[in-house]
Amino acid sequence: MATLKIENLTKTFHAHSKGGLPTRAIQDISFEMSGQVFVSLVGPSGCGKSTLLNIVSGVDTPSTGTVTVTQDGKKARLGYVFQDPRLLPWRTVMQNMLYVSDLHEEEGRANATKYLEMVGLEHAHEMYPGQLSGGMQQRVGIARAFSVSPDLLLMDEPFSHLDAITARSLREELQVMWNATKKTVLFVTHDVLEAVQLSNRIITLAHGGTVFDDTTVELPFPRKASDPDFAAHQAEILGRFEVMEAERAAAAG
Amino acid sequence: MSVATRLNRPPFKRSPVGRALTSQWGARLTSYVVFIIGWQLLAMLVERVPGPWETLDFIWREVSGGDLGGVRRGQFLEHFGATVPRFAIGLTTSFVVGTVVGIAIGSVSFVRALLSDVLLVFLALPAIIWAFLTVMWYGLGWEAPVYTVILSATPFVAVNVAQGVRAVSPELHRMSDAFGVPRNRRLRSLMLPAVTGYLFTGLRFAVIIGWNAVLLAEWFGATDGVGWRARLWYDAARYRGFIGWAIIFIVFIFLLDGLVLSPIQKRAFRWRKSASDEVDLEHGLADMEAIAKTPFL
Repeated sequence: MATLKIENLTKTFHAHSKGGLPTRAIQDISFEMSGQVFVSLVGPSGCGKSTLLNIVSGVDTPSTGTVTVTQDGKKARLGYVFQDPRLLPWRTVMQNMLYVSDLHEEEGRANATKYLEMVGLEHAHEMYPGQLSGGMQQRVGIARAFSVSPDLLLMDEPFSHLDAITARSLREELQVMWNATKKTVLFVTHDVLEAVQLSNRIITLAHGGTVFDDTTVELPFPRKASDPDFAAHQAEILGRFEVMEAERAAAAG
Repeated sequence: MSVATRLNRPPFKRSPVGRALTSQWGARLTSYVVFIIGWQLLAMLVERVPGPWETLDFIWREVSGGDLGGVRRGQFLEHFGATVPRFAIGLTTSFVVGTVVGIAIGSVSFVRALLSDVLLVFLALPAIIWAFLTVMWYGLGWEAPVYTVILSATPFVAVNVAQGVRAVSPELHRMSDAFGVPRNRRLRSLMLPAVTGYLFTGLRFAVIIGWNAVLLAEWFGATDGVGWRARLWYDAARYRGFIGWAIIFIVFIFLLDGLVLSPIQKRAFRWRKSASDEVDLEHGLADMEAIAKTPFL
């Protein structure tokens, strides 16, 4: 299983215009995660969650600090589920799966079929993304990320563009897939319910890109929002959010 | 009339003839019929305008043989056979060179800076200038028409391809980065399909501009070919001959577009839910607008 180690990470974006001020998205964040864990990063919009994920994936670079993702001492293989599915519209579902695969054609097809079956899209191999609903496209995105056998799976608010019913159904499917594969997952969301339902550990980022809270969730899977323990956990985290907002308001005067 | 009554009224049904007339094919047919009627009326009013039947008769005799004012007929295939290879060689070269240059301009900022003004100069020069220049350089023969096509059409392919490369979704690039997709697979599965729409727009421009260019170069600098033949009838003041060849030029472009380009384009865009002519026309118009209005490089 992969180990993600983040040490004193800071990210500052340069000013867009002359005379403008640089924006600090992340400020001195450190944490480590390893093994069969599902870690959620929660926090308000603009607190640097997606920036952190981009840096971990290598799409963006840190201003200072280090990020290492290793698997048994070697560089780890990453999978990524984006907010929007990001499928090639001119390629079929199967071709989209093969686009990211390192395996030979036959082996890749068998592997892709396995993960498409897990998300209930075994009938959609030859369909184009434009022929699928938003939920089905995101299922392909999830299957694609799992299919590369990632050591670390990064998920950036994958259900935020979907309607509530589809998002709920996909969350349940993701729970099943994670329990079957036990991948190391770093999941970004602004939805506390989603974080409590899916995660072993929840890291809360505050405005300004700092870690406000880091807590574990020890509830058995599958988790249901109607369960009193679930509701209590969700309420506890939301309570901490309120404290965070109160501290911010006090600091702002 | 109450709302309920209106809602209960059976839907209006068009007759089969009404449906045919208001269909897309009906609209096209109507435009042809109106054009031919207008042409016939103009021919009846203006002496120097030959009518459609007179012109059609000329075209038929140009194909089948005979004699008109001492000029031997029946040489259609001979002249067409001389022009088409010149056009094909010029167009193919333009397509290949334009695609390579366009990809380089679209992907490398140094090449963009190096070639942007040069390409603008080439775009601004009309085909007739190239026709004169190539005739001066190469004299009468096959070279002038071929080089005129290449010099006129290549910039239009290059500019469209460059725009296509620059329009490739950065999100799809980031997705490919995140999954570590190899460069050659990315070129084959991401870049080329993304650029295809722009490539077709460039190709259509190249066909039209290249066809004009080959005719102009043959008009001034060849001893055979359709451009030369049209000039022959022009110099002989045979209006129906000149108009007849103009009609042949138009029909050739229509056939090339309908029988070659459109089927290839439909196949390339089969992934689109509605790969209709409207979408493609919209795409082409958007590109033309972009070329006209924006600093493209």
